[in-house]
Amino acid sequence: MSIQFKTIVELRAMLDSKQISAAELMQESLGLAKKHEELNCFVTMNEEQALKKASAIDLNEKTTSNLSGIPLAQKDLFCTEGLRTTCSSKILSNFIPPYTATAVKNLEDAGSVTIGKTNMDEFAMGSSNETSFFGSVHNPWKKEYVPGGSSGGSAAAVAAGIVPAATGTDTGGSIRQPAAHCGITGLKPTYGRVSRWGMIAFASSLDQAGPLARTSEDCAILLNAMSGFDSKDTTSLNTEVPDFLENINNPINGIRIGIIKEFNLADLDSQVQERFEESKKTYEKLGARFVEVSLPNISASVPTYYSIAPAECSSNLSRFDGVRFGYRAENTDDLNDLYIKSRSEGFGDEVKRRILIGTYALSAGYYDAYYKKAQQVRRLIKEDFEHAFESVDLLMTPTSPNTAFKFGSKGTQNPVELYLEDLFTISSNLAGIPAISIPHGLVNSLPAGLQLIGNFLREDQLLNAAHIFQKNSDFHLLKPDLEGSQ
Amino acid sequence: MDQETVRTICYLARLDIDQSKSGKIQKDLERIIDLIGELQRINTSDVEPLYSPLEMTSFMHEDIESSDNKKERFLENAPASNENYFLVPRVVE
Repeated sequence: MSIQFKTIVELRAMLDSKQISAAELMQESLGLAKKHEELNCFVTMNEEQALKKASAIDLNEKTTSNLSGIPLAQKDLFCTEGLRTTCSSKILSNFIPPYTATAVKNLEDAGSVTIGKTNMDEFAMGSSNETSFFGSVHNPWKKEYVPGGSSGGSAAAVAAGIVPAATGTDTGGSIRQPAAHCGITGLKPTYGRVSRWGMIAFASSLDQAGPLARTSEDCAILLNAMSGFDSKDTTSLNTEVPDFLENINNPINGIRIGIIKEFNLADLDSQVQERFEESKKTYEKLGARFVEVSLPNISASVPTYYSIAPAECSSNLSRFDGVRFGYRAENTDDLNDLYIKSRSEGFGDEVKRRILIGTYALSAGYYDAYYKKAQQVRRLIKEDFEHAFESVDLLMTPTSPNTAFKFGSKGTQNPVELYLEDLFTISSNLAGIPAISIPHGLVNSLPAGLQLIGNFLREDQLLNAAHIFQKNSDFHLLKPDLEGSQ
Repeated sequence: MDQETVRTICYLARLDIDQSKSGKIQKDLERIIDLIGELQRINTSDVEPLYSPLEMTSFMHEDIESSDNKKERFLENAPASNENYFLVPRVVE
């Protein structure tokens, strides 16, 4: 029986009933990765270690974790001890970390097996996976279309059924938007819920790790393992982690869902609107009540983000200087020349653009006008959310204004065009609150995503609402035709 | 934003931009600055900046020595090293 497109819950049952061994499962998963190499989901495979760990799991009869023996893929932004970690950049193309990121270690300690590292936009900067040094990832639904980004390799690997789930990181939508474009489920947890230790930083006050999977139930399984306080991350939340599976089946009648007045959905593609209206009806049938809410400053999310994120990026990426690790340019005259040449040859165009914007925003004379101003607006946006959550439990939006687009069709002439695609996802990163994207149907044979935004630390509510939707619909069961998709 | 400003920012960021691309970079930066400039319309007088979504955390570590010394392993990743040191081009003549 093929393991392709199976969920963690299904694979668990197959393992427990001895229909398949962990080693066989690993071989199948690695085989699928090879068979679908043309999607370019992976930067580095972990074949030998994965098979070794799976065989060891088979020898140990006692299974206590639902992740034991489950193959996972890790975004190539998480440091993995002894396994190359590139951030899809030339500057880290030879980097072998001496330690493993806490989020990945937590998953591996729970028994899951890392089969490889997934392709992504370089340093997670992009929404289409076109900025990777290792080439673009192809969308399994239509191969000449982008998978979304930046966690595009993770999303495509799950959508193609190679692995049941994968890790991603989300700074402005980098889990939710590729999940939407690839027809799977992706969750960005509350800032601080999952440790950032060992994640290669892009924008430290926005970055958050989370799961991508076929169902919200599987996302809950991953989040259970990934979450928790970590003394190595000073922004890690020292708060109790609930069991995210415990209340996932609770009925949702009476739940109040807010529709954000300032997002003018009438401007969207009519089919994207139609999907959204259908999903509203589904939730209404399940007992949800819709309320219009106003978040007066939310329209400023994109400019706020594109001031803060590049500023933090320019600071974080100053560590890549060709001295201690990573790529070093040859034939340099002096130390300054070594810095300049190593960075100029090592970074791609989008990363350079963001470093330059950030450097400008933080430079003397502009700091107050751009960086400080954006952080002030950020507070207003966070307060808007706090106010909204006084009258609703969740907020609902499309995940992205559009479905996936063709390679090279957006942002090449004007980068701002691509930035505006992040309109619906960015604000929850600015406020630090959780949000999930679930598939809710196809538009022109490409998946569309529905986003639910929750209050601070209320991933349980998001997972519950998403799971009940998935129990009453079959959009998450749709699969791409990998042989036929062009 | 003019070419001189682009050159200054490039130097501050220790980046060298290909001359053939500098016109495009200048235009891209102008567009992004225009986008960020939209924030000026919002009144933020008396609003405290929010530098992190978690204002109540950020804890300090105890000031104790850790035994987690992986010097050799860190040096393995260096493009050039010599026993205990990272090697760089000569700084002092």
